[in-house]
This record gives sequence, C-alpha cells and structure tokens, in this order.
Amino acid sequence: MKHITTAIILTILAGLLLCPSAGLAKNVDLVTLPARDSVQLTIYNSEDLTLVKETRYVTFKKGVNKLQFSWANTLIDPTSVTFRPLEHKDDVELLDTVFPGQKPQHLIWNVESKFEGQVKVEVTYFTSGLTWKMDYVAITDPDETKMHFRGYVRVFNNSGEEYENANVRLIVGTINLVEKIAELAKRRGIPVPQPSAPVSSPLRLEAVHGIMEKAQRQSEGRAGAKAKEIIKEGLSEYFLFSVSGEETIPNGWSKRMQAVEARDVPFDIVYRMREFQYGPRPVRFFIWRNDAEHKLGDSPLPDGQVNLFRHKGDGADGLAFLARQQIRYVPIKAEIEINLGPDDLVVYETRRMGTERLNFHFHAVSGPPHEVVDGWDDRTNWVDTIRNYRTKPIKFELRRQWDGDVDYDSEVATTLFDYRTTETTFDIAARSKRQYPATVTVHFGTNAKQQRVKLKESAR
Amino acid sequence: MRYRAFVIILAASLAGSTSVASARIKLAALPERERVEIQLDNGNYTLVEEERIVPLLKSGKANNMIDFSWSNTAIDKDSILFRPVAVREGDKFRPVKLIKLADGTEVPEVNVINVAYPPNENALVWEVYSAEACACKVRVSYLISNLTRTFEYRALADKKEKALTLRKYMVLHNYSGEDFLGAGVWAGFGPKFQKEINQLDDLKLLIKKFTDVPIDKTFTFDWYTHGALNPDKPLASKILMHYRLTNDEKHKMGEFPLQPGKVRIFIEDGHGGEAFLGEDWAALTPLDDTMKLYLGESRDIVCTRIIESNQRHNVRGNLYNQEIVIKYEIENFKDAPAKLRILEQLNRLGQEYSGNTHGDVEWEKGGKTSKEIRFDYEFGNAAPILLVDLPARPVDKDAKVEKVTIRFHVMLKNLWP
Repeated sequence: MKHITTAIILTILAGLLLCPSAGLAKNVDLVTLPARDSVQLTIYNSEDLTLVKETRYVTFKKGVNKLQFSWANTLIDPTSVTFRPLEHKDDVELLDTVFPGQKPQHLIWNVESKFEGQVKVEVTYFTSGLTWKMDYVAITDPDETKMHFRGYVRVFNNSGEEYENANVRLIVGTINLVEKIAELAKRRGIPVPQPSAPVSSPLRLEAVHGIMEKAQRQSEGRAGAKAKEIIKEGLSEYFLFSVSGEETIPNGWSKRMQAVEARDVPFDIVYRMREFQYGPRPVRFFIWRNDAEHKLGDSPLPDGQVNLFRHKGDGADGLAFLARQQIRYVPIKAEIEINLGPDDLVVYETRRMGTERLNFHFHAVSGPPHEVVDGWDDRTNWVDTIRNYRTKPIKFELRRQWDGDVDYDSEVATTLFDYRTTETTFDIAARSKRQYPATVTVHFGTNAKQQRVKLKESAR
Repeated sequence: MRYRAFVIILAASLAGSTSVASARIKLAALPERERVEIQLDNGNYTLVEEERIVPLLKSGKANNMIDFSWSNTAIDKDSILFRPVAVREGDKFRPVKLIKLADGTEVPEVNVINVAYPPNENALVWEVYSAEACACKVRVSYLISNLTRTFEYRALADKKEKALTLRKYMVLHNYSGEDFLGAGVWAGFGPKFQKEINQLDDLKLLIKKFTDVPIDKTFTFDWYTHGALNPDKPLASKILMHYRLTNDEKHKMGEFPLQPGKVRIFIEDGHGGEAFLGEDWAALTPLDDTMKLYLGESRDIVCTRIIESNQRHNVRGNLYNQEIVIKYEIENFKDAPAKLRILEQLNRLGQEYSGNTHGDVEWEKGGKTSKEIRFDYEFGNAAPILLVDLPARPVDKDAKVEKVTIRFHVMLKNLWP
C-alpha cells in the first residue's frame, strides 16, 4: 500500500517545447513522476503555517518546458508555491506561472532552459495542519533551593500528508499573517481535509508502524541511543530550533522531543502582596533567569506550560505537585517567574487602627445663612502584619495602590512604584512575624487638589 | 471557442438600402486578429485593443457596414471604439490621410460615419466610409470586465537584515469569457509581456526585481493602541517590528509607484535556505514614499511604561496645567543594538489623567525629559515619537542585560473640566 496520501506531481509536458502558442496539450500529462529527493519542514507555532521545501531532480529539454505541479488531500496555499533551480541557475529561467481555472490544485510553470538534462530544483510552499508547542517540567529538591529543568517540543501532524524522513525546524516567534493558509488553500475549491479517524484501527496502526520502521532503517541504520539534539540559532526576531537528522511524523500523530535540559538550577523565592494584581492573599513566586548563571541561556524559551514538582525527600522518591502555569516567551537573560499561588504558611493582615478627620473647609450658604463642609482630610493609621510559619526566612514585597490625593508616612523605608502605588520590601525570619505601620492622609472635596501619592520625607 | 464574431458586410450589394437591419447578412470572411493588447494601467478598467486588417470597398451609393457581435464575454458595449489607423499601399501600410470632399471639407479617407445598436443583442454595426477600396488596418478597443490584475511581492532579506531583494509580481485573473492567445500585456509600467491567458486561468508574471534595497528595521511601542502585554506584565506592551522600504533611487527603487498588494518576507537562514518572517498588505506607495510592512512582534525587547508622577497646577479658576512624568524601563535581550520608537498619544494621555481635552492637547516638554531621547513628529504634534537607541545584550554570559531607563516629562497646558 502506498503510504503517501498526497500526490504531488511534477510533470513535464514535452510536447509543447516548440509550440508555445499551440494552446493544446494543456492536459497532456506524462507519467514521469520525479521522486522527492529531500523535504524540509519549517513549522511555526504562532500561526497554522508550515514552510515546506522539497528538492527534486527534473529533466529538461532545451527551450520552453511546461512543468505541472499538482496536489491532492493536502492544504497547500497555491499563491505561495515557488520554483527555483539549484543547478544551472544561469541556464534555467522561470518565465511565468499559470493557474488553470478548470483544474484546482494544479499549476503550470513555463520554464525556459538552455540546458538539456537533469537539474536539481527546489519547490517551496506553505501548508497547513502542522503545529508545535512547548512544555516544561521542573522538579525542585526537597529544600526548594535548586531544580532540574527540562523543556520539550511536541510536533503535531494533522496536514493530511505523511512526512517521512523530513528535516524538521521549528520557529519561535510571533509572525504577522494577513490571510490564513487554510483559507487560501480552500479558495480554489479545495475541500478541507477532515481530521483523521481515531487511531483505533489495527490495520492503520500497523501501516503507521511500517512507515516509522522503514524511515528509521533508511535514516539511521540502527536504533538511536539518545534523544536527538535540537540546535538553536537566532534569525531576525525569531529563533530557529532545528532537530538534527530526520524525523518521520505520520499523519494524525504527534511527537514530543526534549529540547532543553538544565540541572541544579538555582532559584529565588519571593512573596508578593499586591491586592490589585494578585488578590487578597500574598502569592509565592519562584524566580530565576534564562542565563548561564542558572545553567540556561542558550536560546529563548518559547511559550509553554510548566509543571512544577518538588521531591518529597521521603526516601521513596516521591514528588509533590506544586503548580502549573503557562509561561510567556522568555528571552535570553530574562527572568522566569512561576506563580505558585497563595501559601497557607505565610499570612498577611492589614488593619485600620484609628481614623481622624481634620482640616475642614467650609463654604457659606444662604437661607438662613450657615456653613457646610465641602472639604476635609481623613488621617488613618494602618498596621500591616506578616506572619511567616515557614522554617526558612522569606523575602516579602508589599505594594498598595491609593486613589485620590494622598499623603503617605511610615517609619519603614518606602518607595513609590508609580504615582499612586507604594512599595516596601521585608526580610522576615523563619517562624516570626513583622509589622509595618503607616499613616495615610487622604484629602477629600475641595481639599483634594491632586491624584497621586506623596511620600513624606520620613518614609523615604 | 471564440465568442465573438467580427463580420464585414460588403454594402455595395445593398445599394439604395439604408436599413441596417436588412444589411446584416453575414459573410464567411472573418478577418483574423493580427494582434491584441491588454492594458491594465487603470486599476478599475481593463482595456483590450485588437488590431485587424479589414478589406473595404469603395463607398459608392452606400458605405461599408461592419457587424461586431459577441457572446459570453463581458464587453462594455458603450466603450467599443473602431479606429482606422492605416491603409495598405503596396506591401506596406501608411497612415490614414485626410482627403478633400467636393464641398471643400476634409475627412479621413476611411471614416466611421455612425454606429447602430440592434435591440436585445450583444452587437453593433459600424457604417464606414472608404474613399477607395483598400485593406485598412483598424484598432477595435473596448473595456472588458472580469479580466483584472492584482499585485504580489516577495522579499528576501539577507541574514543580517541590511538589504533585501524585492520581486514584484502581477497576477492576471481571466474570468472574462474570452481566451487570449499571444496577447500583449502591459500593467502601465515595467516591461510588456507577450502571453497566452485562457479563460478561467490566473497568470503570474514577474514585473520587476529590485536588488540590494536597504532595510530600515524599526521597533514600535504604542501603549494606547495595544494596551497591557498580559496580566503578568500589566505595564508592558507589545513591540511591533516593521520593515520600512523607501521607494526612491537612493534606496534602489524609485522607478514607479508600488501598487497595493500582499508582501511576503523571507530571510536567508545562513544554510542556503530561507525562513518566512511574515507578511503584510502594502498600501500604494508613491515615489519617494515609504512602504511600511508589519512583520510581527519582537519579544526580545521589553518596554515597561510607568506614570512616575502626576501633578495638577492651577492657573486660574478651573483652568489648570497637568504635569506628568512617564518613566520607561527598557530591556533589549537581542544580540544586536536596536532603535525603539515609542509613540505617545498625548490626547489619550490627557483624557486618562485630566478628562476632556477639548481637542488636541497643547503641551510642552519638561526639564526632566531624558537627553538621549530624539523626537519625531511623523503623526503630528499630538502624537510624538520618542526615538531611543538600545545597546545589544552583553556578550559576557554572566553579565545581566542593562535596563535602560528614560523619562518623558510633559506639561499638558490649559485644560479645564
């Protein structure tokens, strides 16, 4: 059974060499089918887009050659198909490309050749249905000081085509597409391939195993002992992950390969209290960098899900699940932050310990004459308490937002993060508590002249 | 299958009859089309010009009646022109000349007298005067629908993104109902092509290849257009990457305006192959203007925007000035320096921190503005662009990326609620 479900045919219409204006023989197809010599897939993760590059050997005659390129059951964007000779470049020239209206999924290249014989050519096109994504697994030691960090790429093939022995490259980055490839492929009347049937048929499984075994025999000669290397390099604003060697990914299947590994990666733990951003409880963060100091830094880390575990250290090699989070793209040398959520062993409380009103401003009203308040100040004493029940000291960052015209004072050093947000950082010893007092004066009514927090000198 | 019949009726046999209807006897002689040209220079209409050699009899009591009809072809009847251009003399053609009539007036020796349109038919009849029997070269031109063209571009940048090769393609779409074999095709600029284009076919042609076109690569931050990057970085926003190509001689182009069309940009990958960078719709780019192509986001530059201070100063009554200092913290994680353009929409800033700005804001720069910022006013005074040069990330593996901090101190003036 032929496993290739897509017929991509390059056909030479030799009869038209000397009669370019004959207008007939458009549909005369030779049976010549040059085999695909090599194929390279460059798969993008921000859009459903794959750039396919094939090389083939085509025999030309001198004069004008008509090459017919056709495909079936695969989503190829016909506007993206290009042809170029890799040999005899000065002798072989593409004159034009015809898209016959009567034959969707076909095109004809008119190629003028001064050379007679076999020429290696490259055909590239965009296709749809191949995607990839990244995921990470991080396992910390029992003391939560270092981690073993691994990243995996997973390639999905829902293109309708079996790709055997393909050189696979993955692009990390967000590109702009003005039209979806799947839509362009449908425009000339091509039906969209339906998702593959579930792999429950024994015959189908057997066929797929056959493809993979055959590909492995052809490509390696013997079974590989370790995972293939993934080479990373920068390209403009993007990064290219190239899987060494060749891969076979049958239609409907996906394949996961290790792309990143770092052992004994040190990380910091920080607690953040920002009600406006994280909610009413402090949240715990694991923070490290994508750099050499943290055993990383070879390439950016693509968006992906992180599953974070801790070794329980109970002798049974058990793991505790700590958190799952989607991380965004992390450039080289940038920080990675994982939000583990609230920690029951670190408690934050805030209390208003007293309020007074002062600096009243009045305006006079008539009938009968009297005064009414139209401006005042509210001065409140706040006490924040942080309790650390952990067996290690912690670093605690507190940010609070204040609306209105606010004067802020505290005996603890405080800074302004922005015009309305105060910021303070504490180190809190193990199994101890820390208090943070502050006096906040808010101006109301005609007393309010600004929309910002002003720090008193004593708080700076 | 030919859809049009171009028939000459020798009117001499119909002497005395001026009825067009009775003169429409078809002869078997069908002068072949000598050549045809398709003119696509007008974006809204396609002009087809045919040239034929028509044998004409000397006008005696009646003139030559030439019948032109068509079916299944989208010809605009009101646009059809018949122009005698030359007359055969010996084995050559010479231009149609003027002759003097008995009453002293001058007329062309081959002259179209009138055109008649039969009812309910895709047809018309020209009445043509000919001073002598001759073979006359005529041009028949008409506007045709559903024979259109679009443009596409393919750019290939070098790996360092210093220059690119830009190929401009024209794609002809022939849904007119007519086959054009060996037609001359002209887009209005660039070379003319001799091509065959059949009904329902699309034909893609390379019009021009521009090489070594310098690339101006820019990165743009626009807080008010894109908003927060994500909940984890609520004060950062997207950085958009553009290629800007100027259509002038200095930038290796400047031959003709560049028509709108899709541009696909590729880059050499350094291993003999290419990678796709992105695509965008290019707008019409006149000569000396710049084609701006949005490729995608740059995630290796991070810019965080913080309102560091916000102060109101009363002027008089309810008139006030609003003083704002915006702090930008920028990190460039790329291995090359970059030029960042920060677009500050001051009208939106005023609306956010002051309310109604009553039109474009009046503003001036304050003393705390960082000296290293250069200003550009491509979008006008109310949306200044702050240009900042960013160093590359350090080569030393242990060195951290330097955070570039700059400030824009702006005083929005003369505001009231």
